[in-house]
Amino acid sequence: MITIKFEAVTQSFYGRTIFQDINAELRSGTITAVTGQNGSGKSTLLKLAARFMLPAAGQVSVWEEARELRRAELRSRLAMVTPELRFYPRLTARENLAFLLGLRGITLDDAAFSALMMRVGLRETEIAAVFTGEFSTGMRQRLKLAALLASGADIWLLDEPGANLDAGGRELVLREARQAADEGRLVLWATNDGREEAAADAAIHLAGH
Amino acid sequence: MQQSIWQGIKLVFIKELTAGLRFKAAWAAMFMFALTTLACVSMALQGGVVEPRLLAALLWVCLFFAAMAGADRVFADEDTAGTLLTLRIFGPSQAVLLGKMLYTLFLLVLLAMFITPLFLLLMDVTVAAPLVLWGTMLLGCTGIAAAGTLIAALTTGASVHSGLFSILMLPVILPVFLPAISLTAGAFGSGGITGSYLGGMALYDLILLVGASILFDYLWYED
Repeated sequence: MITIKFEAVTQSFYGRTIFQDINAELRSGTITAVTGQNGSGKSTLLKLAARFMLPAAGQVSVWEEARELRRAELRSRLAMVTPELRFYPRLTARENLAFLLGLRGITLDDAAFSALMMRVGLRETEIAAVFTGEFSTGMRQRLKLAALLASGADIWLLDEPGANLDAGGRELVLREARQAADEGRLVLWATNDGREEAAADAAIHLAGH
Repeated sequence: MQQSIWQGIKLVFIKELTAGLRFKAAWAAMFMFALTTLACVSMALQGGVVEPRLLAALLWVCLFFAAMAGADRVFADEDTAGTLLTLRIFGPSQAVLLGKMLYTLFLLVLLAMFITPLFLLLMDVTVAAPLVLWGTMLLGCTGIAAAGTLIAALTTGASVHSGLFSILMLPVILPVFLPAISLTAGAFGSGGITGSYLGGMALYDLILLVGASILFDYLWYED
């Protein structure tokens, strides 16, 4: 059981407070939505959860039972889908996944790669010889989902995961996130999509300052 | 699932090499800079008798500044392409650092192998101690790769990245640069090759490597 704890968390940039005094406890097996208007700090909250940044005040910690996960151990347990995440533009989808997943000790054989591409709705024959720099934004988003799924991560941090996807893609996100939560993963997603918000088990609303 | 550090280093090195071969801007910048400097030096000194120590300094100036044109790109390119976050999510710190360092060393050794024979030919230099010359080259390139990779990581994201990189590199690399010039001059026949300089360079390289390895964790993980 993994828990992410936000204790009196305040974040500010250049003297501007984005949000303050956030208290929350997120647990494995649930989907938590982070909602709020643009600029309210949804993406920032996800980065704090991943410890890619530290809060201006308060504390964010990730626990597995009574043991705190930090640094390399925490990093190896999480995966993210965010608009800022980019693939290597001069590598193919297969090369990108082989490299990134390889760094986590995961190898994808041909059958597993084909199944993964089918699962996220990418046609293997169309992308086999194409660099990801030539992908459409929707295809890149699906590839991000493929990396997330194949990583086997226990913590999913998703920032507008349905963005740039067609109706089928948004359905895929909802289905996979629910399945992940049912399998005991912790899912935190930043969203302004009503369906994604409704699919969550809990929500953190950022009012904005 | 845990990945062995060697496998991680290999993956990072192969990724860098593949990306480098498909987009040769960094390679072209380094090699063209070295070639241009060498051509200028060669034409300016045409026919003149130059002391071995000055020749050695000129060779290292060519190498050092050419290296500056490419060594700072290992992290800057990731930052520009937006892949740094991806690498931070998936890549363990030590595999990333050492893989990129190894790739930079590979590039610098290629550069040295390209520029040194041309320099010897154009400047009509006879090498009295080739093993010392190549040993010095290897240790010098290792020092530049170790310091360059760490400082490239430190300066990534800075608005004046290139300027900052060069300013920070100079004091860090001087303890490699000075004995390298002295040893190269010795190899060119000025006499007095001091073996302890080679040992000193190797020791400083080791310190740079260990220091970079320790410091990089603090860069890679926020807390």
